[in-house]
Amino acid sequence: MTPGLPGNPLRSTPLRLTLILIAIFTVSSLAIFSFSFLAVRQDFDDALRESVTQALASYQAIDEEEELRERLAAEVAAIPAEMTVLRFVPDAGASVGNVDGLPDIDVLRVLSEGEIAAGTRALSDSYLAIGGWVAGGHLVVAQTREQVVEMGELFLTVFLVGFLPTLAMASAAGLAVARRARDRVEAIRGTLAELTSGDLTARVPDVTDAADDLEQIGRAVNGMARAQATSTASLRQISADIAHDLKTPIQRVAIQLERLESRTYLTADQKGTVEAARAECDRIVRTFQSLLQIAQLEGGAVRDRFTPTDLRAVVSGVVDIYGPDAEASGHDLRLDVVGAGPFDVNGDRQLLGQVLANLIENGLRHVPLGGRIVVTLAREGPRAALVVADDGPGIPAEERDLVLRRLYRLERSRTTDGSGLGLSLVAAIAGLHDATLSLGDAAPGLIVRLAFPAAGAGSKE
Amino acid sequence: MKILVIEDDKTAGPYIVEGLREEGHSVDLLANGQDGLIQATVGAYDVMVVDRMLPGLDGVSLVKTLRGAKNRTPVLLLTALGGVDDRIEGLDAGADDYLVKPFAFGELKARIAALGRRPQMAEEPTALRARDLEMNLLTRKVTRGGTSIDLLPREFALLEHLLRRKGRVQTRTMLLEAVWDIHFDPQTNVVETHVSRLRGKVDKPFDRDLIETVRGAGYRIDAE
Repeated sequence: MTPGLPGNPLRSTPLRLTLILIAIFTVSSLAIFSFSFLAVRQDFDDALRESVTQALASYQAIDEEEELRERLAAEVAAIPAEMTVLRFVPDAGASVGNVDGLPDIDVLRVLSEGEIAAGTRALSDSYLAIGGWVAGGHLVVAQTREQVVEMGELFLTVFLVGFLPTLAMASAAGLAVARRARDRVEAIRGTLAELTSGDLTARVPDVTDAADDLEQIGRAVNGMARAQATSTASLRQISADIAHDLKTPIQRVAIQLERLESRTYLTADQKGTVEAARAECDRIVRTFQSLLQIAQLEGGAVRDRFTPTDLRAVVSGVVDIYGPDAEASGHDLRLDVVGAGPFDVNGDRQLLGQVLANLIENGLRHVPLGGRIVVTLAREGPRAALVVADDGPGIPAEERDLVLRRLYRLERSRTTDGSGLGLSLVAAIAGLHDATLSLGDAAPGLIVRLAFPAAGAGSKE
Repeated sequence: MKILVIEDDKTAGPYIVEGLREEGHSVDLLANGQDGLIQATVGAYDVMVVDRMLPGLDGVSLVKTLRGAKNRTPVLLLTALGGVDDRIEGLDAGADDYLVKPFAFGELKARIAALGRRPQMAEEPTALRARDLEMNLLTRKVTRGGTSIDLLPREFALLEHLLRRKGRVQTRTMLLEAVWDIHFDPQTNVVETHVSRLRGKVDKPFDRDLIETVRGAGYRIDAE
């Protein structure tokens, strides 16, 4: 799994797009809302300013103080202070108005409730006030801004009951859709990762016939995986068929050579030639045998026969059978069992034996005379690890992956015996056992490490 | 012995038949699985050699059918496939032995001989003998002409195997399978080395050699 990918939701394109859309929706809604609110309030304020200014002007148009007082008294009686505040402070005599005191006001300004001395009379929260000189004194006219305030409250209410639920609903729906899309993308990504790692049976789960793009991609990925599995299987089948079909004619050649050897009188020289031809035949057969076996192992059916196997018994048995050969070729072949085990793995003892046999044969073939081949069996937590290290020429780092491929041989090994299949067979058997195979530098030499999963842990499906 | 060979390859079939006849066996050859099955049920053979891939009826099914009909004739299965799976599948079907193509004729001969005279399981002996050599299976002591011989466990197992099959050739592969439980083909001289060590202890100090090398085939302890 790619690190951090499923962890950070912002890395998911559908989720990120949804969040961006929600943000754009929110910002634009708020902008439109604020703009209309400000525009409407501006209109209200303009109208009110005009009304207040006109009211003052109409009072200023009265020349006689007496007439002004009469008019004011009538209005004060008719209009509550909640609507309009009037206060006339004459140069001499008693003031007239529906409030007891006001600050000095000359130009248009907003007047709040706290600035007004009104006794027990009801007041609005806010007024627009203007003051000016009239006949015999100074008059302040203030009209309530209640409408403006109410309009603000109305807008807020509309905002709360309209916009927020819409936003919440859009976010929830958007996030749900986005999460579903993210899960689909994640499923497709996971499937592709499995396919890349070689598991051609991986498929995008729960693909429907829906026409949306992600389902289409899912179907396309599954189709691609099916095609790849088919072509890989047929390739495997073809190589197995070729190997199989060629074994019959090779058998015939071997028979003819055997017949030649046993039925005819041959000179020593001729015998040598026949012997060489037979040995060559054997080599060809071993190569085909390995190719067939690798093809069969990669099929995976052998896994059904796996049983808990004591790796220590297998390993000591195999090291034992190579003892005489190592001695004869002057190699120091050693087995080192670390700890008391258990070293049980789920597997096939013949295949496990073959893995070690191949690694030891490899060592005997490539490590110069007098060299060392050390087989170590150890436990690493719940896993059993089989390590074969030698002090031979090793394998250059850049070629370590290549040697696991079929028929790949290092340039310098072209002249030595060996089919070029030993390590690929090791890789195939390791894969079948879910063992991790790694090739490293023993400085000097090659170190091959096989870590088996604990027995009973179950094989991967 | 009366042997039935069911093999469709036009070179391998006659070659096997010819070789076995030269050994003095009475051999019938059939190239088709179905014909082979019928012949096997009516012919009362001592051993059958059956190719795994046959026209008509494949070798594994043939053996299965045969065993299903309570026919216990020993069967040696020949195959071009040699995977662990194939071997186990063949043995599971009821074959007694399994030989991967191409094989040396000596190998085939030795295996047929082993199948034709399978050890009688009636009574487990307590001692094995060959001329003046005696192996006591209870005390695990080996003596020759009264002289005690010390053997390592693997050498003991090897000698025991040869003694139990006195007179029959045991090939390198047969010994690897029986004594070392190795069913793949390792590039090792372990059999040769152990036989030579065994000879050093069992034959070298004495006048006559017990363990005989059969050229192109394997090893044998002479019956008498």
